[in-house]
Amino acid sequence: MIRELAAVAVGGAVGTGMRFALDLAFATEDGLFPVSTLIANIVGSFVLAVVVAELWEKLPDWARAGLGAGLLGSFTTFSALAVAFVHLASTNQWLLALIYVTATMVLGLAAAALGLRLGHARARRPDLVNE
Amino acid sequence: MTAAVVFAILGAGAAGAVLRYLTARAFASHDGFPWAVLIVNVAGSALGGLLAGLAHIGTIDPNLEIVMLTGLCGGLTTFSTLSVETMQIVSLKSIRVAFLSGAANLVLGIGVAAAMYFWLIALAS
Repeated sequence: MIRELAAVAVGGAVGTGMRFALDLAFATEDGLFPVSTLIANIVGSFVLAVVVAELWEKLPDWARAGLGAGLLGSFTTFSALAVAFVHLASTNQWLLALIYVTATMVLGLAAAALGLRLGHARARRPDLVNE
Repeated sequence: MTAAVVFAILGAGAAGAVLRYLTARAFASHDGFPWAVLIVNVAGSALGGLLAGLAHIGTIDPNLEIVMLTGLCGGLTTFSTLSVETMQIVSLKSIRVAFLSGAANLVLGIGVAAAMYFWLIALAS
């Protein structure tokens, strides 16, 4: 349990740092479309799906905790999505707010579905991993 | 922004992730509904709305705001686990549970964030 918690903490710090770096790279003012959060959520969904489908069975508990709950769980965020919606709505940009949330859900779920398919396909063909 | 603020963001993100992990272990799905993600996302969004409201009325230090918002709330909440779990539930043919979970996260998460934000602003005016 201690080892898993340590892995989650380390992964959580790294994932948060990567998300923060994206925020700095794609800085947006309040009331605008936060591209960095959208990118983090789509990329994080895809990578977690691949890791879960392809590697989950092969990884020890601490590695699952550090990669899944830690790194990718913290790289992606829901609170920033909710706050972005509130900022957009509070400046009467309702259409943009709806587009933002819809884009996150549709693209995030599609990325997860794609990642799961890809991961399962790769897990069934371990001989291709080293190519 | 100082190095101390960046380290505080990373530390808060780690703390949020640990809280989320402990929540996931405490609410290991017994009925097929992903409760843990809903709980952390709603709690983190409520805190996020509160912080955004405090920032709007100008009663929070900008450094503390970013440590709490990007660090703690960002680390506590997650989108990747929500999206991957939802698609796994879909592949188990439980479309209804998948839809309910996604809708509950969106409606409750955004709902509490908005409620906290506008409540604080109303309180301050």
